[in-house]
Amino acid sequence: MYCISDEQIEFILSDISARGVELEGLQLNLLDHICCIIEQELEENGDFRPFYEATIRRFYKERLSEIEDETHLLLTNKNYYVMKKVMISSGVFAATSLSFGIFFKYMHWAGASILITLGIGIASLVFLPLIVTLKVKEQRAAKDKLLIVLGSISAIAIALGILFKVQHWPGANMLGVISPAILALVFLPIYFFSGIRNPETKVNTIVSSALIIIGCGLFFTLTITSKTSRLMEVRNTAAYLRSTYILKSEEQAVLSLPTPPAAAPALALGKQIYLSCEELRAQLVAYAAHGATSIGDDFEDKNVLLGDATSYDYFSENPKTAELLTAMERDVKQYNAANTALATRGVKPIPASYIVFNQEEPKPLDKISSSLNDLIQIQMMVLQNQRAIAGSTKEKMLSSIQ
Amino acid sequence: MIYSSELIKGTLKTIVLKLLEDNNRMYGYEITQKVKELTFDKIQITEGALYPTLHVLEEDGLVTTELEYNGKRARKYYTLSPEGKNKTKERVSELADFMNTMKFLLDIKTQNA
Repeated sequence: MYCISDEQIEFILSDISARGVELEGLQLNLLDHICCIIEQELEENGDFRPFYEATIRRFYKERLSEIEDETHLLLTNKNYYVMKKVMISSGVFAATSLSFGIFFKYMHWAGASILITLGIGIASLVFLPLIVTLKVKEQRAAKDKLLIVLGSISAIAIALGILFKVQHWPGANMLGVISPAILALVFLPIYFFSGIRNPETKVNTIVSSALIIIGCGLFFTLTITSKTSRLMEVRNTAAYLRSTYILKSEEQAVLSLPTPPAAAPALALGKQIYLSCEELRAQLVAYAAHGATSIGDDFEDKNVLLGDATSYDYFSENPKTAELLTAMERDVKQYNAANTALATRGVKPIPASYIVFNQEEPKPLDKISSSLNDLIQIQMMVLQNQRAIAGSTKEKMLSSIQ
Repeated sequence: MIYSSELIKGTLKTIVLKLLEDNNRMYGYEITQKVKELTFDKIQITEGALYPTLHVLEEDGLVTTELEYNGKRARKYYTLSPEGKNKTKERVSELADFMNTMKFLLDIKTQNA
């Protein structure tokens, strides 16, 4: 029986770790195993080094670290099948949910938004990350792993960016710009320059790179630049400002007209509606123009613009104003009832419900600028009705004089 | 005749568990020697297959380990945990059942019949 010295034990241990076995338990196992073999099989005065080399060679096919790789593989394989199952079912679920969501959306059925959110959410937070984890394990080269991770991060960010955009969640625009930027500026160069060198992958690399660039290009074509969005805000604000001027001059003209006593209740209600609209407009303008109290001719220089805020956000954050809107709608109904007798004089009813903002079926896309437009139209109708009442009174007065 | 590694791969866990059940406490080299001895060299467990399997059994809580130091060397002894004892019975009877099914499926006549 051969007797192994401490130096030889140290040599074996350092050789095992130099050959890429890093798990301490495995190192100790292999060390003891080799020592046992040497002790059992080497003669007492045998030559240690060549026997050791021959022994360790029996442990592997290509390199010793295979044993450690196999250990890791067995440990991860336990989860591998579960992950694969979850990946497949989450993928099928996300695709189904999204398809139904889109169908519901076009049919205007309830639940479309939930289905779409669920579909995109599961696709980007469960399905895609699982694909990455499983695919990364299959790749050997660090570069290929990096490419999979980068590609998937941009895919996840693009999906989430679209979800955030349709849900009006903050950060949507940032995600929308960053995700294709990662794809085009980080992923693409690494992918292109590593693939183009290899004659086997050259053609595929060029085709895929062109597709990525075209895809990103299409995405950015759809995106509204900040300059365009400012231009649209300026147009909206200018249009609103013109409407308020028209309303003001109409108001002046109507105030000078005589008011018949018979129309008093209708006129009082009309005044109430008119004032409510003024108040609602002031609140909505302050919200959309980020706190500005009024909009003047110099709005462009002062940068007081009606942004693309939505009435949906405003009314869900301000229940008091929402109550004022409900009260105004109630007044409009009473006003219309009080005016039925005056229909012959050309007095027209005002649309009673959901004209400014439909509180029973709120739509996230309703813009404040369109709500403001509705309010001004209501005010104009009140003034027109007042003019109709006054006009017929004037005719009566004239006929009584004659 | 030495059996192919594919045949052994699927049964290695069961072999190790059963040996530990019969011998209470064993270390890696001892396991390989015991298998060789019991099977008249027909089954030779490679180190590359044995240690990853032992590692997984430990990770799954089916075996417990003790390290015994002898100078600079350390020997890792493996013992079945209570859970491992149950699992051993399960795996052995599963394999016995499987072998019967294979016999039937492949229509193998018992050699000494």
